[in-house]
Amino acid sequence: MTASNDELREPVRNFTFPRHTLVSLLIFAACWEVLSHLAPVLGIPPFAIPSLVKIAKSIGTITPLDIAVTLARVMAALVASFVLGLALAMAMYRSHSLEKYLHPIIRLFMAAPVVSWILFAVLWFPGVEFRIGFVLVVVCGPVFLVDTLDAMRSVPRELRHMMQSFRPTTFQFFIKLMLPAIVPTIFTSWKVNISLAIRVVTIAELVGAVTGIGHQLSVAQELFSVADVFAWTIVLVALLFMLEAVVARVEHRLLRWRT
Amino acid sequence: MNIAATGGPPSIEVRGLRKVFWQATSGQAVVAIDRLDLTIAPREVVAIVGQTGCGKSTFFDMMIGLEPPTEGTLRIGDKSPHADFDYFRGKIATVFQQDRLLPWRSALDNAKLPLELIGLPEAEQRERAMTWLKRLGLGNFINAYPHELSGGMRQRVAIARAFVVQPDILLADEAFGHLDEVTAAELRETFLALARECGSTAILITHQLEEAIGVGDRVVVFGTSAKLLADIPVAQWPKEQYAVLREAIQLTLQNNSADPRLNRDR
Repeated sequence: MTASNDELREPVRNFTFPRHTLVSLLIFAACWEVLSHLAPVLGIPPFAIPSLVKIAKSIGTITPLDIAVTLARVMAALVASFVLGLALAMAMYRSHSLEKYLHPIIRLFMAAPVVSWILFAVLWFPGVEFRIGFVLVVVCGPVFLVDTLDAMRSVPRELRHMMQSFRPTTFQFFIKLMLPAIVPTIFTSWKVNISLAIRVVTIAELVGAVTGIGHQLSVAQELFSVADVFAWTIVLVALLFMLEAVVARVEHRLLRWRT
Repeated sequence: MNIAATGGPPSIEVRGLRKVFWQATSGQAVVAIDRLDLTIAPREVVAIVGQTGCGKSTFFDMMIGLEPPTEGTLRIGDKSPHADFDYFRGKIATVFQQDRLLPWRSALDNAKLPLELIGLPEAEQRERAMTWLKRLGLGNFINAYPHELSGGMRQRVAIARAFVVQPDILLADEAFGHLDEVTAAELRETFLALARECGSTAILITHQLEEAIGVGDRVVVFGTSAKLLADIPVAQWPKEQYAVLREAIQLTLQNNSADPRLNRDR
């Protein structure tokens, strides 16, 4: 016992310059630019591989409202999916009978293709927002549920035993032990679901929506504007990276005890 | 039911206690505890020794209240730790073989966990937990996470976590068995001194005979299915005869029947 706990901790490095990522992106951009110039020689229609300047011009025309709408849809659906998935996982953890009844349905939900859910949504619900929300929740909710339930089951028996020996209420047991214990899995599940939700929302918006990135992609396709498709795709990818970075930052903060 | 409020912890009465488990794989019954009778007086420190699989841990779980008896009764005062589970919140505390600290909580937050469960105000939780951590020599480490502490320090936090509620009943299951000899002896002494100071009834489960003889007012020897082989009032044995006592307990455990030397009057 010679050093206090403040002396024991190593300083945390928060930022590393993404040199390798930048280099690989620059190489990709250079190859694309060369290919766009060689397209006529190779017999490819010029509109199929637009130059970087054209793509940049398309990016300049992007409407922030569509980005905001898609982002709002994704976030609302993810929050709803998470709350629903976590609540059901807790109920299934508590009740073995409930788990036995619900498990086949969850498997069924996870096995059904996204396109089927979109078609069901179009046939069942009149409102566009509800359709998109429905599709996102039925796709992302089961992922949250399965991940959190598995994580709860993986909480070491010794810790559960210790906690029970101090006689917590059911609520305290979940709040003081289970929830903090599954936080690392919750973050992993969020990262997976953000990526999933971004892809699913785009497909859902392609069908029927009049706003959002998916809708703009549909318009670009109708206009044969590959530059616009490319620009909106870049926005989608940037959105995904941004959301992942936010989650990673919160994760780093909340899981500081692991470092 | 703390000491100040009621004048002391209640006695523990075990009558005809039986615990049978059904093995799902073989479909057979396993008798973990077979008609155990035991009385533990308030403020007594009792060490329970027995070979692996003799039912010590099952008895420990039943004392905690996690396992109901199949037959018989286990009562602390006039209450059952299983049937009156919530009643004993903050009255029974445990120290386990491994520290079982929550890795995402600092030493302070781990130590105040039982106080959170009984709903004390936050300021009082912090004050009491800090007092106990300081008493256990961890004043400079209150914000350290478990992985930043040594095994002995983590066990000190676990002891602080047990004492922070000033429990009526203290249960320790092989609490010092995994530590090196020097640390274990030091912590054993601290644990005993604090238990005496708090006026708690303490039950220590151990397989180390030196520990049992050195710590317990009584040493209770369990045979197969927690059969009570011997109940030894250690104070009646002169210290110079501890080696004989140790040998007699050893033979009792080996033969699953009481060595005659344990029954003679001292």
